[in-house]
Amino acid sequence: MRTREGDRIAVDEGVVIERVRAGEAEAYAELVRAHTPIALRAAAALGAGADAEDVVQQAFFKAYCSLGRFREGSSFRPWLLRIVANETRNTVRSAGRLRAATGREATLIGAEPLIPDSADPAVAALEGERRSALLGALERLGEDQRLVVTYRYLLDMDEAETAEALGWPRGTVKSRLNRALKKLGRLLPGPGEGGEEHE
Amino acid sequence: MNEREGDPEERLPEGRLSEDRLPEDRLHEDLRELSRHIRVPDVAGETMAERVIAQIIAESVPVPVAEPPGRFERLRALLRRHWRRLTAALCGVVTILVLTPPVRAAVAEWFNWGGVEVEYAPESPRPTDEPVPGCENPVSLAQAARRAGFTPAVPKALGAPDAVSVTGLPLGRHVVSLCWRADGAGGAGEAIVRLDEFPGDLDMTFFGKMVRVEPQQTVVGGADAWWFREPHLLTFWMKDKDDQIWEHAERTAGPTLLWSPSPGITGRLEGEESMRRAVEIAESVPAQGS
Repeated sequence: MRTREGDRIAVDEGVVIERVRAGEAEAYAELVRAHTPIALRAAAALGAGADAEDVVQQAFFKAYCSLGRFREGSSFRPWLLRIVANETRNTVRSAGRLRAATGREATLIGAEPLIPDSADPAVAALEGERRSALLGALERLGEDQRLVVTYRYLLDMDEAETAEALGWPRGTVKSRLNRALKKLGRLLPGPGEGGEEHE
Repeated sequence: MNEREGDPEERLPEGRLSEDRLPEDRLHEDLRELSRHIRVPDVAGETMAERVIAQIIAESVPVPVAEPPGRFERLRALLRRHWRRLTAALCGVVTILVLTPPVRAAVAEWFNWGGVEVEYAPESPRPTDEPVPGCENPVSLAQAARRAGFTPAVPKALGAPDAVSVTGLPLGRHVVSLCWRADGAGGAGEAIVRLDEFPGDLDMTFFGKMVRVEPQQTVVGGADAWWFREPHLLTFWMKDKDDQIWEHAERTAGPTLLWSPSPGITGRLEGEESMRRAVEIAESVPAQGS
């Protein structure tokens, strides 16, 4: 199985995993190299904050440990991201719930856009205030809803990948995403004026 | 049904004119914008690969052999003998899956939640109902707190427990169990309401659940919680007589609520039939303000 077109490094995952299982641990480096950017992004988006690097290293390590269980023919990325999500959750939980919020905020609020606003002219620059409000609203979602929004929007995964990464049926992804977006809409101030809007 | 949720233009709320952009539009834009602001640590794949490989070598992790079902029993025996080393290697995920051998092929998904690993196996047989076990070898609440290293939360709704016990877990951790006697439904004799509390922030699975029906997500005090309505197979750690070797045991658990009664602690409340009541009990835990 190949990684998606457009990924910078295309690796034949099936072959690499076979080599690892045949005893060639070094071959695993290829998988790590190929998936480090998305894993770091996931850890950051899920609130790992300053621990993102360690979380990702530990996730890769654990993925190696349980590579015997990896189902042939399935895709490595969502499987890995599940481990990253668990690892992030464990790290964040041990540091207390509060840090989840502050970690995410530090990760998202202060940073300058990494990709210049050029692709879509209709996308207006989002003021810090609006971003804070959105983050605040995200924090108020339940864990599942926050996860599904994170995967679909912050990690830009499609519905099938999100379903696989979260281990939920497609229908569950769809319905939870819908509910999450509705709730976000309710929690956020209306467009422009910033006042409460009622449907 | 609208299949294309990525395309909010299709969902114009009735009776609202779009003098500006639609709220959904705006939300999608905001989320995309937010995603541009994720601050990703600047670590090259090459560097990460070196670190991971170094860790694999340093911890002498065995080659991850593909697990055909036939080898399962052998692997399980091996794990039992070497659990200490294995858990030290933090391969907890493998360990617990090995601990719950039945219908492995039918396991559709799993998730980890505060020291509990849940496997969703819709095809597994429904376990028979079992009474909730009471708290054996009772100690005082203060003794339990001393031994476990944390103060167990006591839900106000249940009051002082009738019995408290402490059981060892791997890695020198403990689970504190609080038991209350309750009148059995319809005069069915004495029933037990039981609350197990254990450090759930560790990278280690203490309880395994095999469920046929997906748990229902709910909320306790604003935080996530899980309600397992159906009887399900529960696996847990047991110490043997020599205080040395760990074995796992299995029993059926009834409806169970899983939540975090205080930071870093996972609670499992068992013996309450109604989710509403279980959540009420969970919410009656005094807040750990300081």
